[in-house]
Amino acid sequence: MPRSNVFISAKMASQTVPVQKLACLGLLCLSLLAVLELPAFAAGSAKSSYGVDLTGQPVPSLTNQQTKAVVLLFVASDCPVSNRYLPQIRRLKSEFEPQNVAFWVIYPNPADTASVIRQHQKDYGKIGEEIRDPNHTLVQLAHVKITPEAAVLLPDGNGFHEVYVGRIDNRYIDFGNQRPHATQHDLQDAIAAVLHGNTASRPTGQPVGCFIVN
Amino acid sequence: MRNLLWPVAGAFTVAFALINSRVPTTRAADAPVTFSHQIAPIFYKNCSTCHHPGGAGPFSLLTYADARRWAPQIVRVTQNRFMPPWLPEPGYGDFADQRRLSSDNIDLIRLWANSGMPEGNPAEAPVAPHFASTWLLGTPDLVLSVQKPFHVPASGSDVFINFILPYPLQQTHYIRALEILPGTPQVVHHANILIDRTASLRRAHPNTWQQGIPGMELLVDSGNSFDPDSHFLFWKPDSPVLVEPKGMPWRLDPGNDLILNMHLKPTGKPETAQAQIGLYFTDQPPTQHPILLELEHDNALDIPPGVRNFVVQDQLTLPIDVKVLGVYPHAHYLGKDLQGYAVLPNGQKKWLIWIRNWDIDRQSVYSYRHPMFLPKGTVLHMRYTYDNSASNIRNPNSPPIRVEAGNRSADEMGHLWLQVLPVGNPTLSSGKFQDPRLLLEHAWMEDRLQKDAGDPIALYNLAAIDLAEGDYNQSILIDQRLLQHDSANARTLTALGVALEGKGDWQQAQETYQKALTIDPVSTDARFDLAGLDMKREAFQDAASQFRILLSNHPADAAAHSGLGVSLFNQDDIAGAQDEFQKALALNSQDFTALDTLGQIEIGAGKLPEAIQLLQSAIKIRNDPDARQLLAMAYAQSGDLSEAVDQLQQALHLRPRSAITYALLSRVDSSMGRWKDALDARKQALLLEPNDADGWNDLGVLEVHLKETALARNDFLHALQIDPSHALARANLDRLVGQSQVH
Repeated sequence: MPRSNVFISAKMASQTVPVQKLACLGLLCLSLLAVLELPAFAAGSAKSSYGVDLTGQPVPSLTNQQTKAVVLLFVASDCPVSNRYLPQIRRLKSEFEPQNVAFWVIYPNPADTASVIRQHQKDYGKIGEEIRDPNHTLVQLAHVKITPEAAVLLPDGNGFHEVYVGRIDNRYIDFGNQRPHATQHDLQDAIAAVLHGNTASRPTGQPVGCFIVN
Repeated sequence: MRNLLWPVAGAFTVAFALINSRVPTTRAADAPVTFSHQIAPIFYKNCSTCHHPGGAGPFSLLTYADARRWAPQIVRVTQNRFMPPWLPEPGYGDFADQRRLSSDNIDLIRLWANSGMPEGNPAEAPVAPHFASTWLLGTPDLVLSVQKPFHVPASGSDVFINFILPYPLQQTHYIRALEILPGTPQVVHHANILIDRTASLRRAHPNTWQQGIPGMELLVDSGNSFDPDSHFLFWKPDSPVLVEPKGMPWRLDPGNDLILNMHLKPTGKPETAQAQIGLYFTDQPPTQHPILLELEHDNALDIPPGVRNFVVQDQLTLPIDVKVLGVYPHAHYLGKDLQGYAVLPNGQKKWLIWIRNWDIDRQSVYSYRHPMFLPKGTVLHMRYTYDNSASNIRNPNSPPIRVEAGNRSADEMGHLWLQVLPVGNPTLSSGKFQDPRLLLEHAWMEDRLQKDAGDPIALYNLAAIDLAEGDYNQSILIDQRLLQHDSANARTLTALGVALEGKGDWQQAQETYQKALTIDPVSTDARFDLAGLDMKREAFQDAASQFRILLSNHPADAAAHSGLGVSLFNQDDIAGAQDEFQKALALNSQDFTALDTLGQIEIGAGKLPEAIQLLQSAIKIRNDPDARQLLAMAYAQSGDLSEAVDQLQQALHLRPRSAITYALLSRVDSSMGRWKDALDARKQALLLEPNDADGWNDLGVLEVHLKETALARNDFLHALQIDPSHALARANLDRLVGQSQVH
């Protein structure tokens, strides 16, 4: 898919950074974008947006009035490890969504265009509410680098407070080094903890998968 | 008993697409590493075999964009040597088709990724390899397909499943190459192909075999006579074509099944797998006969939870010189350190293989670059270490539990398979074990018995070897021992029947076969052997009845058609016999008995060119002295006396103490006027059979030709002493006396 389309979408989604963003290029552009966009993560802010949906429309909010926690799951359509986790992600969503946890499936790689994502969901089934994040607004908010990787955010006034970032579970230790089944369910435990008003534990290992690309 | 039980492994010969590539090994210290110049050649040679569209790799690595997309992961997986998949330690076995990347190449990939992944000049890049989406070796001679698509769930543990593919042809074929189209390449991790000579797995699962039979390992019943497994048929995505070495094709007979033992991995979405196997035939039977040997000690696999260094060992002393062609180490998820080595009689240690960090997901068969010679007396060793602690992240049990040997992925295994080729044709001083593989088999089974004195497979096979070597009493003792534990085993009863028959106790043999048939009325072997016994007793009508019953259950049994043919031939029903032999040959063009006996029939009918053709085919299958003798007769009757002499001499080479062959040779020599040769051959015949009056008469005639009339006179007299009514000897003597009176 041509990358130019991706950048057009990114600009449309970044209405809060008009002049600086249009004037910058390359890595400098990304760093400016990050600096300028971070403050925009204020829930309910009329100016904020969180990537775009599959029609290219900015996602104005990650929460509703009942939302107790937000889970961002970063995936890539072409990442085998990420794909193997999709059934697990779907299970977590069905378990926690009724408990007022908002689940968002984030596609951060620019090559994952709307049509690629539609095909991905056709192949693997609908996973959750998806957001394209080609300009890495959410990537930088959540401090993720890998797909699959997860973040748990708690609504905090007009913004969010990140209480968990990292792997979904401990099945993968490294490429070529994996358990037959996970024995530690880091993300699930983190969500359960915050729903009970407890502190989520940090994951004890690194996420394994595919690096998020620009 | 026509069968030996054999545990079977899969097999292999690697031939993966060779890609023309250039891998620059030097560069200026300050020159940038670029995709086009250094990286593309590395990827095309080592990665693209699987990483191409439609390949088994989860992504493609054919373009700069591909490489850029995956560069960070590639750095990681090459640094930790997860990719390319290659487990053996360098320097511990010199293997063909090594997949291990050099440290220099790994450094180049890291440097390239860290320096921003520059493309360089695209014109410098080699042309990306092209991978056909269909059969790499062209259209196969036969394609076998898994019966029904198999549904792999989106998630969960890996799936180990066995698909049965019946061989549908009614003729025997030799297979020179095999290729698999896995259907959904990214799901299929690897596959072993087993030959089930007796369709035993299908018969054990009559209602469910088409869905696939779960399980990691199999034990199948491997068929008629001594026919050991000989080939690794191991398939993995980077070696989709298995081409056997010259002279070593493998065989498929009517009624055989191929079992595709597959390791499938869930991908995150529901998948279907429906593999196809392409077979490529050759009309050249094998000229070299390897055998697969196994070291194992599964009975010792009883690993307490928490133990990190549980060692299992086995050893096997080679009774003959061999060349090791390949090695296949196998364990499940607790296996850590897998060592195979040989200690030569002079104490030298030779490594067969060492895998320091075993990973079942990357298992493979490894062929040696050069066959490894190991002399008689070498001790083969297997030393496997297992980790059943929680720190072994592959441990299928959390928390760890006691683990024993078994077929499930949560059980454990420890096998070291070797493909070996006997060197020379050693025999014991007693002249036993004409097939050197029997010596290896014997040593292997003795090794099994040392580990488990009641091992029924070892006992059964040892009884079979004793039987094959004519040690009937020993064979009977072992069979009786087996029957003490399993008295209703039709197979053991049949084996006992054969041993009793060999010993000459035909009444007991007959009773034993009948008992086996009472237990298993459709037992082909018991019926076949009962019919064979009837033939030996010259009860040809009874034999024909038994063969007919057998054929009513198994109409595609070529040997039964052949047996019926021989029964009819002996009842002078030549047309009926010919018909049965033709049916046998339609099913198995390599049926020796049919070719041999038809050859004999054609000689009788005076159709000498046809007879010669049939008998030539027969001796290609079995270097049989009787068949060569028949061929000599066909040649002699055709007037091709020198060919006849050649065949008779070869027959004598195979069976030196045959009076009849010497006698025939003498006749042919005398027809050629080679009186001296004829005389020598006749003397040899008489040494072996001194009471042959005809022979003494012939000797006399030859001596007359050689002007040895005094000797001739004595020999005619000798013939008359043995048989006073020998008219020809009398006439010759009279004639000789008359001549001497004339002179």
